[in-house]
Amino acid sequence: MQFCRAQSLDAALEYLAEWGADGCLLAGGTDVMVRYNKSEIAPGAIIHIEGIEPLSLITTHGRTTIGALNTHRGLAGDAAIAARHPAMASAARLVGGWQTQAVGTLGGNICNASPAADLAPPLLVADAHVTLASMRGERRLPLDEFFIDRRVTARRADELLTTIDLEPLPEGSAEVYLKLGRRGAMDVAIAGLAVRLSLQEDGSVGAARVAVCSLAATPRRVPEAEALLLGARLEDDALAAAGQALAGAVSPIDDARGTASYRRRVLPGLLARAARQCGEEARQ
Amino acid sequence: MTAVGANVQRSDGEAKVRGEAVFGVDLAVARMLHARLFRAPVAAGLIRRIDTSAARASDGVHDVVSGADIQNQRAGVAVFDTPLFATDYIAYEGEPIAAVVADTPELAEAALRRIEIEIDEVAPIATPEQALSPGARLVHPSWAEFGTVGGIDFGAHGNMVAEIFSDPGDVEAAFEQADLVVEGTYSTPRQYQAYLEPKMALATYEGGRYTVQVSHQYPFRVRDRLAQVLDVPKSAIRIVGHHIGGGFGAKLDLGLEAYAAVLARRTGRPIKMVNLPDEERLTAPCRENAVVKIRSALRNDGTILAQDVDVVFDSGAYANNGPAGASIPMFMYASIYRVGTARIRSRMAYTNTAPTGAFRGVSGPYLVFAAERHMDQIANELGRDRREYRLATLASDGHKMRNGQALEELSILHKAFELVEARAPWSDQGADQEADQDTDQNGEKLRGIGIAAAVWLTNPQPGQATVKLNEDGGIIIVTAATDSGSGAVTTGLRQIAAECLGLSADHVAVTMPDTDVAGFDAGSQGSRTTHVAGRAVFDATSEVRRRVLETAAGMLEAAKEDLLIEDGIVRVAGVPDMSLSLGQVAMAATFSKGPIVATASYTTPPPPHDPELTKGMLFNTWPTPTYHVHLAEVEVDPVTGKVTVARYVIAQEVGRAINPDAVMGQVVGGVAQGLGYTLWERMEIEDGRYVQRNFETHGLPLACDMPKIETILMEHPEPAGPYGAKGAAEPSIVPVAAVIANAVSDAIGAPIDSIPITPEAVLDALQSLEHGVSG
Repeated sequence: MQFCRAQSLDAALEYLAEWGADGCLLAGGTDVMVRYNKSEIAPGAIIHIEGIEPLSLITTHGRTTIGALNTHRGLAGDAAIAARHPAMASAARLVGGWQTQAVGTLGGNICNASPAADLAPPLLVADAHVTLASMRGERRLPLDEFFIDRRVTARRADELLTTIDLEPLPEGSAEVYLKLGRRGAMDVAIAGLAVRLSLQEDGSVGAARVAVCSLAATPRRVPEAEALLLGARLEDDALAAAGQALAGAVSPIDDARGTASYRRRVLPGLLARAARQCGEEARQ
Repeated sequence: MTAVGANVQRSDGEAKVRGEAVFGVDLAVARMLHARLFRAPVAAGLIRRIDTSAARASDGVHDVVSGADIQNQRAGVAVFDTPLFATDYIAYEGEPIAAVVADTPELAEAALRRIEIEIDEVAPIATPEQALSPGARLVHPSWAEFGTVGGIDFGAHGNMVAEIFSDPGDVEAAFEQADLVVEGTYSTPRQYQAYLEPKMALATYEGGRYTVQVSHQYPFRVRDRLAQVLDVPKSAIRIVGHHIGGGFGAKLDLGLEAYAAVLARRTGRPIKMVNLPDEERLTAPCRENAVVKIRSALRNDGTILAQDVDVVFDSGAYANNGPAGASIPMFMYASIYRVGTARIRSRMAYTNTAPTGAFRGVSGPYLVFAAERHMDQIANELGRDRREYRLATLASDGHKMRNGQALEELSILHKAFELVEARAPWSDQGADQEADQDTDQNGEKLRGIGIAAAVWLTNPQPGQATVKLNEDGGIIIVTAATDSGSGAVTTGLRQIAAECLGLSADHVAVTMPDTDVAGFDAGSQGSRTTHVAGRAVFDATSEVRRRVLETAAGMLEAAKEDLLIEDGIVRVAGVPDMSLSLGQVAMAATFSKGPIVATASYTTPPPPHDPELTKGMLFNTWPTPTYHVHLAEVEVDPVTGKVTVARYVIAQEVGRAINPDAVMGQVVGGVAQGLGYTLWERMEIEDGRYVQRNFETHGLPLACDMPKIETILMEHPEPAGPYGAKGAAEPSIVPVAAVIANAVSDAIGAPIDSIPITPEAVLDALQSLEHGVSG
């Protein structure tokens, strides 16, 4: 196996063009090294991109653009992110433990395409788009089109995910990420739920976005629940209906962390809690 | 006193913090080879063929061994049922079938993959219920030929490893008199000890003797069991101990030592073996899963006329020391509460699962879980306050247990209830809570409180210590007692010797265990080290002191009675300039009568009891009892079912705290392990295999999951103990599951009679309540 250290974006793209599917991108290594040590992957080359400084930038003109190499700890502690993307900031604090947060990157979390990716639901409710670069040029696509299946993405073998751009939280809106785990840290989500709501003057919901992780093969938006929240007031019946729609729309599995039945059962309560929390914050 | 009662630092603390301490897994010697085990891939099956030829031809391989190549007779601690290698049939997933020796662990691992095996899988006996059902397939067809230690009849039959029974004969009659009968079934899962250092062994064979280096809680047991398995004299075996990366009971019996010894002899090279972390977890001697049924005959006034207790444990594929655990119900029921008469049946069954074994507080956590859930259940049925009902039912000093042994100081338990009350006043909110149930579905936390009490023992088994006074006045304690992390050896024994001889513990060093050098010690188990090995150290140091005074009296021309020892100086009372250092005294003794050295031994004598009352017991008394009350307040999230422990208070009786910080560390650690068992950890079994295959899904609690533990240490010095110390390290784990389940049941208004209390189990209980109410 060859170890290729890319110091610039161009160098990384050249390595990718050279190695294609046999090249494995390495940033923080929190997923790649584990899989490599377990012999789950045996790439011809490891392409180390951690030193490409421009990919660690965050810009906040209009949409928020976040370089793929921003770490979870970095995102959790960034004031602009906290103001514009509070749900993502809290999700970043809940990924793994402090050590993995310190080196694990946003781009890695997305490209790993785990069904349980904590950052994905807050990104999805912020209308995240990813930019993929290759020697052939750049393309930009919505995050929900990027996730194809469990650990499968739309990234082509010669492409590097360079940035993610997001819609910041609008005025009169609030968002929240609720992670259901067993322990206080270092847990893979049994279920994760992000909700972003805008409230109108009369207290009804003007815009609603709901996204989940650990409840389907990929993290995903749940339009069925969004539709029932839109125009509704945050009251028991409406929330219960949206909760039922959410529970009905997802496709959880039984695994060693929890049963599908439990995952479905907690969703209405979690959605009500998240929506009420958004409602309170949006009114402040 | 200066040394005893002080928070003296551990002698191994700095080396461990700096990373200098050499643990078993760190060891290396010249010419060493590495071995790995080929383990059964299925839970049950007939082995049709094993072909090791490809493994033998593999790179760097020196030897490949299976059952056919060696003497492979069955052996064990209590029941002689365990072969080194499975040959005809597989009894559990992970059972050793062959071993490979190679230049490196990686080459050994690569060769393991080239072993070919053909197995006719059979449906595993996955649960004790299945094992004990009529007509069940026998896990061991030849069970009737298995010998037992001392020829004890444990009541084995078929898949029944042990059946222990105590029946005074008057229980049915009492049930006929009852106004009310309360019954419950309480079930608990396995728990893995989750120590950091996997099991290891490093064996050499030289000049007809085996030397095995270990990190083991009980080196003399390794010696004795190796002698049994290898069929050689005990004197042909030397066990040398090193720092232990935790054990909690999992390192009390043979692990890899016998394999390493056999392979060292065959290859003529030192053999090192270390389990991989997941391999360790899937084959460790977990705390056994159990189901306890209790039925109580009651009068309306709350008097318990009789109890009928039935305990079924899962032994896994082999017995280990299971029959010892099967004896413990005889001390956990009809002991601290007045229950009239009691019939107790305890059964242990073979299944096609990894053999279970010793874990801190052997059997106690689930037996007390059942006992104290049952007390809550009775109180609730009677409409009595749960704490008040316990106090009304608690027995008093001199109350006799099922074995006829009297608990002479049971009033300490009454005191413990009072001390807990003073710290955290009881408020039984159960009734109010139920009214709140249906209004709380949107998030408000449900609060509950629980309380539980227990008696625990101090393991009585023998220990010997030799105390040497060096010519510079320093003390060396030579002992085979092991410190698996508690500080019992690295602080406790040193403090006891220091106190006895009037010097600072800084001047006292203690050896690592070596069975060629130190006298017998029964190892780090049952909270025995400070009490038993400590008493041996105290007695030996007292003799050293006597000889110091005798020698110094001659040197100072003073009467022994006029001498005192302070800060390492022997003085004549009232004569300030008449003094000698301990070093001067030791030097003089060494070059006259000989070095000042003394050896002493201690074994707790069995308390008076009636051996006719219980049958088939591996041990039949409950020596040096200690008393415990725990209280917990919890919050339950009705949306997710998650339980948060809001407050945890303990009153624990320890005799005397030789090192209060070390005792506190043990108390907190035991609660943490108990909370893991109760709320988070999972070792579920499906079709004889563990469902959670690694630590990611196992769910050990983290520091951030721990509540603050408020501990009240109660000191009632025990005359037989060194400076009054009793056992303190194990028992804080014992009442945890009970007290948490009581608090959660109180919070949600529905009984939680099995653990772990997963969020899903809480939601199930809440939802069954809703259906119950609306339907």
